[in-house]
Amino acid sequence: MKPYIVLLCLSIWVLAACQRDPNDPGTEFAPQMYLSKSYEPYTQTEAHKINPLGLNMREPAPNTVPRRRFDPVFESKDSTGKMIRRVDVMAYDIPRDDAGRELADKILFNPLPVNEVVLAEGKVLYERFCTACHGAEGKGDGKVAAKYKGVANLTGAAYANHSAGRIFHVITNGKGLMWPHGAQLNPDERWKVVHYVHKLMGKLPSSEDKVAPTPADTSKKTETGAQAAKKISKGNQS
Amino acid sequence: MLAQCRNYCQKLAIFTLALLFAFRLQAQDTPTDSGATAAPDGGAAAASAKPDEAIYNKGKALWEGNCTTCHALSDEVVVGPGMYGILGRRDKAWLKPWIKNSQAVIASGDAYAVALYNKYNQTVMTSFAFNDEELDALIDYIAYESEVAMKQKDAPVADAGGATPGQVANTGASSGYFNLLLGILFFVLVLILAVLLLMISILSRFLNSKEDLAEEDKEVVNQRINLGSLFTSRPVLGGVALIFLLVILKGGWDSLVDVGVQQGYAPTQPIAFSHKLHAGEYQIDCGYCHTGVYKGKSAVIPSANICMNCHNQVKIGSPEIQKIYKAIENNRPIEWVRVHNLPDLAYFNHAQHTNVAGLACENCHGKIEEMEVVQQRAPLTMGWCINCHRQTVVEHAKDNAYYDRLLEYHGKMRGNEPMTVEQIGGLECSKCHY
Repeated sequence: MKPYIVLLCLSIWVLAACQRDPNDPGTEFAPQMYLSKSYEPYTQTEAHKINPLGLNMREPAPNTVPRRRFDPVFESKDSTGKMIRRVDVMAYDIPRDDAGRELADKILFNPLPVNEVVLAEGKVLYERFCTACHGAEGKGDGKVAAKYKGVANLTGAAYANHSAGRIFHVITNGKGLMWPHGAQLNPDERWKVVHYVHKLMGKLPSSEDKVAPTPADTSKKTETGAQAAKKISKGNQS
Repeated sequence: MLAQCRNYCQKLAIFTLALLFAFRLQAQDTPTDSGATAAPDGGAAAASAKPDEAIYNKGKALWEGNCTTCHALSDEVVVGPGMYGILGRRDKAWLKPWIKNSQAVIASGDAYAVALYNKYNQTVMTSFAFNDEELDALIDYIAYESEVAMKQKDAPVADAGGATPGQVANTGASSGYFNLLLGILFFVLVLILAVLLLMISILSRFLNSKEDLAEEDKEVVNQRINLGSLFTSRPVLGGVALIFLLVILKGGWDSLVDVGVQQGYAPTQPIAFSHKLHAGEYQIDCGYCHTGVYKGKSAVIPSANICMNCHNQVKIGSPEIQKIYKAIENNRPIEWVRVHNLPDLAYFNHAQHTNVAGLACENCHGKIEEMEVVQQRAPLTMGWCINCHRQTVVEHAKDNAYYDRLLEYHGKMRGNEPMTVEQIGGLECSKCHY
């Protein structure tokens, strides 16, 4: 009689133990084969001995400028069908404030050509990074906008005259309630989004818009733009 | 005969008891908050009459196109003041030039305008070049809708998951009826049980008092279930032993097969972040926070600045959100627990799967948008990887002569069977192990 009762209790205990603890990753066979010897950003078995906070990753040195995509050259057709080269003005020293936005409005232009491919990519990026707040149609009716009050209706009259440079500056540095998104989108991705936002606003850059300068005067404009930016940033520092 | 009757009563009573028990469980499952059925009083006349359909629609279009960025219809402050009771504060004659050019009104030295400007941090209101007719429509629309909005805000049900108050009231009412029905049934069952128990006791007493009861009937009446003898009977003991053996075998086999498999792993994170809320309810794209998922090997765990894009405002007071603030203040990373781990001996690249193959996140991660705590759904074993590589048909770039010819030759060699990942080398060892 007694051993049977012990057996019964044991089987109940074993059955109860079938529920795995969600915090337990389980047994690993020969873990030293699984763990990386080299430093991986998200795999770490022991604290790094040199880096701050024991992290494998390090912050870039102060004042580092990413060289990737720094000065890309895009090719597009002008109105006569001739291929022209457009140089992206990556004015990294345009300040984040109102004056910087006005400056960006004047000196930045969208280096990307308007075509189906760019617009399709812009749409994908817009849906990834903007729809949650600004809504699929740009009407400021995204799901998050219900919680985060004050999301801009991009199709509204208040934004009708926004140039590509201004929108680029706002995506990069934020404005008012919107926080900077420059960390989440590369410059060329931002320019694609700018094209798509212009499409949502019902105005695609056409011949009437600020036309990108031809290569001959691009350098000139870049120069003046960079100089102006420097002047403003210097003014802010002093 | 009477003894049989008593026996049936006993069985019925047990059955009723079981039913009652089932009801209790059911009642625990169904939401009982029928208290939230108070529907907002839609019948009460609004102080401002609803404007004409044409004017209303015009005002609505103007409002939604230009104003909602900075103003709420209720008394809530967004960037500028809420619109509730606007005509009580200012009249149309003042509002019109203000909307057209607020800076001009401030420059004219209007005391109210200057005070307003200073109250809202000297934020310049955009000037709108509306004509008089448009301004009238807009103000009428705001006057009417702001009262509706206030009523919705005050009604207790307005917060329930964004559903309109009417719908909430309806579901509340129907669940109320359901609960009432359940209650009645419960009461009836209790009544039946009481009657049955009464009958049992009366019948037993009556039968026992009778002298000429047959021996067989007497046994039935006074029968007691002997649990001890039931458990020590041979078939029961044999069955238990067999089950025990099978459980041990199954458990042993499973734990051997499970070595190195973390399926079902759902660790508690340092911050109780809910993917169900962010990815599900608010439909924030996975790539918004996991910025590396379309670009690189790692999907990237978002840094705190991405949280701050919303949580500079949303739910700042919550203790969970305060943990992010603390991390930023102390400049310490938040130590999230990694859920999906591939051993170092296998190479995996997110971009190759999301960007090149175009796979959706849920293919491997399951329905993240329904998970309160993220759980590893896929086993992430080699067999699981290979199975997918065997089955997935490769979609080649369109309008590319190279791939067109590749497909043509593939068709000739393989008899028009589709080209899978396996056939372009997806099963070669060195693809993942090197």
